[in-house]
Amino acid sequence: MWDELVRLCNEQFASPPFRRLLNTKFTQERAQHYSIQMAYYVQNRRDCWGYVQGSAPLDIKQVIWRHEEDELIGRKAQGKVDHITLAVKEGEVFGLSAAAFERTARLEGGEVCFSAWIRLSQRAWLEAIAASAILEMRNSGELIQGGSLSRRIGAIFARDLGIPMKKQINNAEHVVMDVEHAQMLMQVARKYATAESARQAILDGAKESLMIDRVYRGHLADMLEALN
Amino acid sequence: MNLVKDLCATLDQMVNDQFESVEFKNFLAVPLTLERGRFYVVQNALYTSNRRDCWGYVQGGAPLDVKRVIWEHESDELINDPRAGMDHYTLTVKQGEVIGLKPEDFETAEVPAMVQACFHAWHHIAMRNHWLTAYTASHMLERRNNGKIVKGGGMSYRVGKKFENELGINLKRMISLDVHVVADMEHSENISEMFERYVKTPADCERVLHGARDSMAIDRAYRGALGYYMEQIE
Repeated sequence: MWDELVRLCNEQFASPPFRRLLNTKFTQERAQHYSIQMAYYVQNRRDCWGYVQGSAPLDIKQVIWRHEEDELIGRKAQGKVDHITLAVKEGEVFGLSAAAFERTARLEGGEVCFSAWIRLSQRAWLEAIAASAILEMRNSGELIQGGSLSRRIGAIFARDLGIPMKKQINNAEHVVMDVEHAQMLMQVARKYATAESARQAILDGAKESLMIDRVYRGHLADMLEALN
Repeated sequence: MNLVKDLCATLDQMVNDQFESVEFKNFLAVPLTLERGRFYVVQNALYTSNRRDCWGYVQGGAPLDVKRVIWEHESDELINDPRAGMDHYTLTVKQGEVIGLKPEDFETAEVPAMVQACFHAWHHIAMRNHWLTAYTASHMLERRNNGKIVKGGGMSYRVGKKFENELGINLKRMISLDVHVVADMEHSENISEMFERYVKTPADCERVLHGARDSMAIDRAYRGALGYYMEQIE
């Protein structure tokens, strides 16, 4: 099952929407809009993980709670801020102010995808957790040949805008954190995917989430193409 | 007229009224035996688990700053309450030792039919309503446990006193009930602050009251069910 999940994550990058997105040449305006929409994506992840925490067994609730510390609160002892603040702070290198994040609406297609992900996160817990965790597997440099999505986008920003990865603090953080977070689904599967029906639920949730992910990336590519 | 002040006064009245309901009166009047006490403690652990489900769902639907408040709230409940040195589920299981319960008694416990219906109803409010309604529904159960608001003491205090008076077990030894006497004062006050930030219109008030009314109705049904099941135990 794990090999199949890793294969599915790698396949995302060969899909037409991912290829369109990753073949886009980024201008400053495009980077700004991409950055704002990704902050909304991060917020939607917080919605979904909350719902998953609600339906998961107690020991998995505890794992998710710790996962959300990085995302929602930050590791204060290590001087790390939460990932929403990080996304807004990263926006500064693209010339964005915090107000720009507040006044820019969500992409319509993005909104639809966010609703779809929320619906998925309210399903039976194994399907729901797979749907959320697979997005972090897709962002794990350990599992994705050629680099995770954050790594690839970071490289494009460096190539097209001359902004080095270390200045892209949100991308850089996710390149590291999602390697760690990607292991969560394995941890869950070891304990709870003992029956075929449980393994199928994980695969179903993962596949449906990756489908939404492809649609979402397609909408982002459309948005970028429409900008200068 | 202060919208939030008036709203909070209404919520306070509602949690006090719970204790005048036939379901609460009956539940609190059932004489405790050791077996009934064991039943209650096991059921309380299941109730605590249901609270964790619901707060997770509420966190999912809430705005970002409210998510953070709920995350902090869940730290005591799910990870470690510094007052007790453990999470609240572990605390309940540990409390069970005082009355002869083992961890497996909690693991194998069945959820009785009427209790199951209440748990599903709380899930429904938490997942399928506007976040203010969902949030209030969960908050009200802590407000109902806040001895600063409920005259005569919150639910944990009253049940703890029953264990003390009827079974001779000092409230301090009922560690989960004892911690909740204090913890829910703090929790309900922290959570209550969110009303100041988000309740701005009569429509917001109605969302809050909707959650409060529904949750208190389920709470009465739940306590009525516990009373009924406890009476069946000789």
